Amino acid sequence: MVVIGFGSPIRGDDAFGPLVADRLADLIGGPQVEVLSRHILTAELAETVRDASLVVFIDAATTGEVGQVVQHRLAARREREVVIVHAVDPPGLLAWTEALYGRTPAALLLSTRGVSFDFAHCQLSADVQSAVEPTVQLAQTLVRDHLADSQRR
Amino acid sequence: MSQTITIEPVTRIEGHARITLELDESGKVEDAKFHLTQFRGFEKFCEGRPYREMPALTARTCGICPVSHLMASSKACDALLCVRIPEVAESLRRLMNLAQLTQSHALSFFHLSSPDLLLGWDCDPAERNVFGVMFRHPQLAREGIRLRQIGQTIIEMLGGKKVHPTWMVPGGVSEPLTEDKRTKMVDLVDEGLDIAKRTYEFYKDEVVGKFKDEAKHFGNFPTMFLSLVSPRGHLEHYDGCLRVKDANGHIVEDMVPCEDYLKIIGEAVEPYSYMKFPYYRPRGYPNGIYRVGPLARLNNCDSCGTPFADVALAEFRTLQEAKPVSSSFHYHYARLVEIIFALESMTRILDDPAILGKRVRARARSNTEEGIGVAEAPRGTLIHHYRIDEDGLMTWMNLVIATGHNNLAMNRGIKQVAQKYVKSKKLQEGMLNRVEALIRCYDPCLSCASHAFGQMPLQIELRDAGGKVIDRVSRG
Repeated sequence: MVVIGFGSPIRGDDAFGPLVADRLADLIGGPQVEVLSRHILTAELAETVRDASLVVFIDAATTGEVGQVVQHRLAARREREVVIVHAVDPPGLLAWTEALYGRTPAALLLSTRGVSFDFAHCQLSADVQSAVEPTVQLAQTLVRDHLADSQRR
Repeated sequence: MSQTITIEPVTRIEGHARITLELDESGKVEDAKFHLTQFRGFEKFCEGRPYREMPALTARTCGICPVSHLMASSKACDALLCVRIPEVAESLRRLMNLAQLTQSHALSFFHLSSPDLLLGWDCDPAERNVFGVMFRHPQLAREGIRLRQIGQTIIEMLGGKKVHPTWMVPGGVSEPLTEDKRTKMVDLVDEGLDIAKRTYEFYKDEVVGKFKDEAKHFGNFPTMFLSLVSPRGHLEHYDGCLRVKDANGHIVEDMVPCEDYLKIIGEAVEPYSYMKFPYYRPRGYPNGIYRVGPLARLNNCDSCGTPFADVALAEFRTLQEAKPVSSSFHYHYARLVEIIFALESMTRILDDPAILGKRVRARARSNTEEGIGVAEAPRGTLIHHYRIDEDGLMTWMNLVIATGHNNLAMNRGIKQVAQKYVKSKKLQEGMLNRVEALIRCYDPCLSCASHAFGQMPLQIELRDAGGKVIDRVSRG
C-alpha cells in the first residue's frame, strides 16, 4: 500500500496533504505501507505505485463543504493526450502507471476543502486544521481494513 | 505587404512567452523574436533581506532546478563568509548537483523531446506525446521514468526532499552522509548508469542519423561557447574557471576566475523581452553571441575525465569535423553524454571513503561585502552575484540565468527554423512543432512549453499589415 499526501507547504491549506502524511508516517508507516509526503505529484511516482494494492491520495480541495472529509474512488484519466510532465494529478498519475506498467492500482482520494491558499508555511486555517485528525483516523481505518482484507485473501 | 505571425503563449505554467515571425512581402520569414513577457523581480525584492536567506529564497526562482540555484547561491554566500568549505561538503554538493543534472536531462530527453525524436515531427499530434512513446517504446519510457527517479531519489536522500531541499547552506551542508544512504546510492547509480549507456547507444545508433536535415537547420550557426572547465580542462559543473571557445574551436578566454565574469560577459536588454541578452563583452552586442549548456560544455572541455563519457565525447565530436559541434539539435546528444558523465562521477565520489566524513560545514559571519557564486546548471552557466551591507542585508543582486545566456542563440535559431519550414501564408502543424522543438533543444527553464508537451495552448496567427487575421493554427 502507498499513502501520498501532497500539496505546497507554503500555500496555506495546501499543506493539508503533507501534514496528514507526516502524521500517518509515524502511525502506520512500515514495510507494508509506504507513506509519502510530496510537494507535487510527479510522473516518477508511477514507479512507486505500480505494484501497490491500494493507493490513498490526500489533498486539499477547492470544492466541497468546509470542515468535511470526503472520500472518492479514483480511476486513470482516459484523455491521454493531456500531459504535463513535471506535475500530474492523481488520475494523471494512474494513467502514467497504466501506460507504463499495464496495471492501475485501486486508488482513493481523501480531501477537505481549503479555505486559504495564501502564503503560510505549514499553517492551516482553523477549519482545515479541524479536518486533520478525522482524516488521519479515516486513513488508518482504510489501511487497517485493506490489510486485513488482503490477509484474508 | 509585410505580415507578422505571433505564437502566443509559448508556455503554459510560466505562460508569458511568445514568438513573432515577421514575413516580407513575398511571404518569406524576415525576422523572428522570442519574447519573455513575464517579470519575476527576484533581484529587486531580495534587496533588504539577510544574505543567509538567499539559498532558500532564490531556489524559488524555479521548481524544476532549485538545486542549481541552491548551488550558485550557497557558493556566493561562501564567498561572503570568506571560507573554504570542507572537502567533504564540496563532494556532497557535487553529488547533489550531478543528481540534479541526471534527473533534469532525463526529463528533457525522455519526457519532453522523445516524442519528436521517436515518433516524428509529422506524427498525429494526438499521438505525438509521452503516452505515444510509452505505447511504441515501452522499455525506453520505463527506463526514462526510472532514471529521473534515481536522480530525484538521490537529491531527496541528501537534502530531505526532492524539490526545494534546504540541506545546502552557506559554508557547506547541514548534515553528513551516512553509510546506509551511501550504500543505497551506489546501487541506484549503478542501475542509472546501465540505463544511461543503453539509451546513449540507442540514440547514437537508431535516432540521430534520422535527423540530418533538422540538424542542419536547428540553430546551426557559428557562435562562441561559454562554460566552466576544471583547472585541468575537464568537464566541470560545480567549480573551476570560465572558458570561452569560438566557432572555429579556438580558446579565446581560459581560466577566467568566476569572480571576473563581468570582464567577459555583458548584459543587453531589448524592449520586447524581460529576458536579458548576455553577450561576450569583447565582441560587443549582438556580435558576442554565445551558447551555454550541454553543447557548450562538451565543445569546451578537453575531456570528460570519466571512462565511458570520454568514449561518448569522442563519438559526439565526430558529428562535425574539426570544429565545435554547431547545431543546437545536438543538445540532445550532449545531454545523454552528460548523464553518463554525471553517473560515472557520482560513482567515483561515492566510492571514496572520505565521503562519509563528518566535518561538512565551515561557520563564520560575513567577512566581505561582495560574493559571486557560479555553477553549471543543467541548462548552462548560472551566476549569482551579491552585495551586502555591514549588517548582512542584501543591497544588490545580479542573477545571470543559464537560459538567459542562450537568448540570442534561441532568437537566431527560431529565425533559422522558420526560414526553413515556414514557406507560405498557410500555416502547417509541422511548422508549429518544429518551432517548438527548436526551443526545446535548449530546454529553456523559462517555459513550461518545454514541460507541457502536447498540451501547450499554442496559437499562431498570421496577420496582414492591417492586423487582419488571414490564417490561424491553434491547439490545446
